[in-house]
Amino acid sequence: MSDALAIRDLQVHFHTRRGLYKALNGVNLGLRRGEVLGIAGESGCGKTTLGLAVMSLLPRNASIPGGKVIFDKKDLVNLPREYSERVGDRFNPKENERVLRRVGKAMTGIRGRRISMVFQEPMTSLNPVLPIGFQVAEAIYVHDPALLARRVLSRSKATPALLKELMALLVATHGDEASLRKFAAEHGLAGIEEQALFIWNRGDIHISRKEKAIRALSGAPVNRAELKIIEVVARTGSIPPQYARVPVLSRIVRRVLIKEGYRKARELLTSLGIHHAERVVKMYPHELSGGMRQRVVIAIALANNPEIVIMDEPTSAVDVTVQAQILELVKRIRTSVSASFIVISHDLAVLAEVCDRIAIMYAGRVVEVAPTDQILQKPLHPYTQLLISAIPTLEAKPVEGIKGDVPDMRAVPVGCAFHPRCPFAFEKCHEIIPIDLPHGNDQLVACWLYEAK
Amino acid sequence: MATVLEHKARFDELKLSARVFLANKTAVAGLVIFLVFMGDALIVQIAPGVLGVTYPNDVIPPQFTQTNPECDNMPPEPPSLSHPFGTFEYGQQGIGCLDLLQLVMKAIRIDIAIAFFIVLVGAAIGTLLGVVSGYVGKWLDEVLMRVTDVFFSVPFLILALAVGYVIGRTLFNMALALIIIWWPLYARYGRSLTLTTKEATFIESARASGSGRLKIMFRHLLPNVLPPILVQISLDVGTVILIFSTLAFIGFLPSNVLVPELGAIANFGLDLAPLGFWWTVVAPGGVITLFALAVNLMGDGLRDVIDPRRRS
Amino acid sequence: MKLWVYVLRRLILLLPTLIGLTFLVFALEHLGGTALILAQYIDPHLTGTARQQLVEQLTARFHLNDPVYVQYFYWLAAILQGDWGLSTTIRQPVTTGFLWFMPNTIMLTIVASALTWIISVPIGVYSAARRDSILDQGVRVVTFTLYSMPIFLIGYALFLTLGTGWRILPSQFNIDPILLPTIPRAWFDDTNSVSYPTHILAIDAFLHGDWTIAWNAFLHVILPSVALALALLAGIIRILRASMLEVLEQDYVRLARAKGVPERLVNNFHAKKNALLPTVTSFGYLVSGLFGGAVVIEYIFTFKGIGWWTTFAFLHQDVAVVMGSTLVFGVILVVTTLILDILYAFLDPRIRYE
Repeated sequence: MSDALAIRDLQVHFHTRRGLYKALNGVNLGLRRGEVLGIAGESGCGKTTLGLAVMSLLPRNASIPGGKVIFDKKDLVNLPREYSERVGDRFNPKENERVLRRVGKAMTGIRGRRISMVFQEPMTSLNPVLPIGFQVAEAIYVHDPALLARRVLSRSKATPALLKELMALLVATHGDEASLRKFAAEHGLAGIEEQALFIWNRGDIHISRKEKAIRALSGAPVNRAELKIIEVVARTGSIPPQYARVPVLSRIVRRVLIKEGYRKARELLTSLGIHHAERVVKMYPHELSGGMRQRVVIAIALANNPEIVIMDEPTSAVDVTVQAQILELVKRIRTSVSASFIVISHDLAVLAEVCDRIAIMYAGRVVEVAPTDQILQKPLHPYTQLLISAIPTLEAKPVEGIKGDVPDMRAVPVGCAFHPRCPFAFEKCHEIIPIDLPHGNDQLVACWLYEAK
Repeated sequence: MATVLEHKARFDELKLSARVFLANKTAVAGLVIFLVFMGDALIVQIAPGVLGVTYPNDVIPPQFTQTNPECDNMPPEPPSLSHPFGTFEYGQQGIGCLDLLQLVMKAIRIDIAIAFFIVLVGAAIGTLLGVVSGYVGKWLDEVLMRVTDVFFSVPFLILALAVGYVIGRTLFNMALALIIIWWPLYARYGRSLTLTTKEATFIESARASGSGRLKIMFRHLLPNVLPPILVQISLDVGTVILIFSTLAFIGFLPSNVLVPELGAIANFGLDLAPLGFWWTVVAPGGVITLFALAVNLMGDGLRDVIDPRRRS
Repeated sequence: MKLWVYVLRRLILLLPTLIGLTFLVFALEHLGGTALILAQYIDPHLTGTARQQLVEQLTARFHLNDPVYVQYFYWLAAILQGDWGLSTTIRQPVTTGFLWFMPNTIMLTIVASALTWIISVPIGVYSAARRDSILDQGVRVVTFTLYSMPIFLIGYALFLTLGTGWRILPSQFNIDPILLPTIPRAWFDDTNSVSYPTHILAIDAFLHGDWTIAWNAFLHVILPSVALALALLAGIIRILRASMLEVLEQDYVRLARAKGVPERLVNNFHAKKNALLPTVTSFGYLVSGLFGGAVVIEYIFTFKGIGWWTTFAFLHQDVAVVMGSTLVFGVILVVTTLILDILYAFLDPRIRYE
């Protein structure tokens, strides 16, 4: 089974007035389908840069001198890399901006739809002048307006009788999605299954209320003009240009679909544990707490059922209680959603909670990657060992820091970047960059200590 | 007591600042132009003959009409090789063939002097009031806020006209009127800077060690408030010259006397304008623009230096 | 309805400023001595005993022999009653003059502001979005130059080139003087050059169906408005561009991109909405310059508005108008600032839903 995402030898440089920062120096990493992969490391090791590079969200003064990010057999970074290779030292951020615009266009079907990202700061991640519901609805509207159109259509065509049958089917099959979808397709109600399933899967209301709610899905009044437009959208899968360009019509389309998006937003937020979602959806970001904002951002990331979700320090900007809630949320999500996750954090304890495998980064390279319990119990790389021993635990043991400082990324040490601080460094470490060496069970470590003699 | 390392760090920062400033080509251009203006001002003031300027304080050299009778009622001439800015006709008597370039060169130093005078005095008064008000707070602060509000409520040009009408229409009074308009800006600015700095820990430690209020204000607050104020001053010199030259243009100074001031020269030109003698307005106006441009460019360069984000 | 509370609070804060404004104007008048105050209420053609009598009446009315604070109240009373003195330039009460000339200035400032915003917003947004492109560099050069130009030069340049030079647009007065005799006396007072009911010639002519007059008057508005707009938009574009650049660095813009929102929408919707807020605030600071600029532009183009009248009065020793103008402009500016503040509070959900 191929990897969901493969990063090969990725290099990223930042061009600043204070010098050239080599943020990533040959990162090799594979994300397996369905797994939760953690990326750990101190500040400055490049983990956030890695996430941004995958999403092609690097600033304009970042160049990609080499490497590949392979997703669905396509290299996501080939445009910036080719530009870098072409101009070499004459890298110009202003020219790069033009390249980035092309990259943006190339990434349209991917960002927010197949790969999505949750950023570090929930307090500033949401647009302060737009309501929550809009920001979630927009995520769907931009990628899949047909879904919203189908939902509206299905409700307008659903009769109470059909819905009663649907309810019976739900009870009989215990909420089986496939049979539900078949039923909906047979009766021309494509789009209703999602809404019905949401109600069915709610854990907080009684079944009689669920029945009432499902029956309430019928007969949404839609006027004739809107109906026609929505049908076109549902059929063709996107908003046809003749509507998109005409100012009045495009506004109508947008209004109707975004309104439906608000409904779906309510469903998403409720499933992520936000109470009174119907009220939250109308509020503005500054009215919500940090934990709630983080959930909203996660909802936006999950809205289109992406294949990969990247979470950058999802718990670092919130307090401890909210941290626990978010971790619970992530654990719950991964069972119900079929995506692969990358979780970036400097906190190994957080990663230990949710990840299947953990990759340790240092100075722009991955130094070790292994299944979680192996990393924690049998860390191989000296840096990992020191990291783990630096975690304070309940036992009374001396907490040791790691001697020395993180290297200045403008002048990365030759050979193994860790050798100046490594208690086990020997001659080869000073000279040659370690390659990934397999060891034990599904473990890769970039350290000459483990070179088979 | 700064250590050697701290001195070196500060010097390195200065070198980086200089490098950042010099990297900005337009800022350097602005600096060069500004220096040219200052050069002209100084030379005309000290040794006017160097630039061929005679009688730096008068528009018309004395006995001009006697020595140049052909210049009577001579209309202004367009720019040419002998008169790069053209010539100028002055007053109802119609004394013509006055070289506009010379006139402009004389006027530059007066304008620059006035600009600096207004900004420096206005900034001094305003900053002092603002810092004291910001630090002391309470009713004094409220009063200052209300007073500045009132001054801000009248468009400055109108207020200048009204003040000028009352205290008299002279060059000095024009500067005075503008100082009256300018100080509230610095009072507000100084106050807001004080409010943000006042909570800083080093002030707290000064207070804890028993320093008196006055001492804190002068020894600790003021030196920290000064750098942004100085930057603002350097930017304002350009703005203020635009304002008072416009004031002079609409006729603040009495029309029977021509003072070598760029706006006033342009005002004279406007009366001749419908007849098509455009250089009499465009030349002084253009010179003002050039000066303001230079100052603004330098200001942008300075902002690059100060703003930490733009430094890298 | 937190917005109403905000509006109410701002209105209450208005009062001390207005009162302070009256103090300021009164202080100016008092600095000029009793002669100044008297000059505002005496017709200069009066001489001899009639004049003496009037002087005594006025001295009694304004209590000019009493201490300053007493004088203030009587002066204020006169102001509040609507007696602002006589204008020597139009031979009418000052308040009548304001009624005649104010609408033109209001129209000028509104048209100029509208032009400014219509031009500035798309240019500012695009310039920031396509940072350092040819267009951006061009915009920066042009706005920078305009920003460094004194407003009289901008006005004069337009006056000279499009106006008296190439004669593309009219550049003086509110209407071609040749047409003046043709305006029907039913709604036009030719002795004072005032039209009714709105006192704005272009609009009144339109209301009365006189298309030639209306069109001609309209043409006369164009150059002054464009001149004023050019002066303003240099400042607005700079601020908007800077604001956009800052917004484009924000996390939520990055999130919008990560969501897959197309670049065009990111700039024109997500970023612009946030960038406009500080621009509106800055516009509030520029309104003072807008009115001052209107004065200069009206002077250059002889456009009969309050600005022109104030300058004219200043040059012709019509003190009542100068003082009155200070007060009027002050009130207008305060009210305008209030309106802008309320607009801002309405636009920013962080304030609206506090």
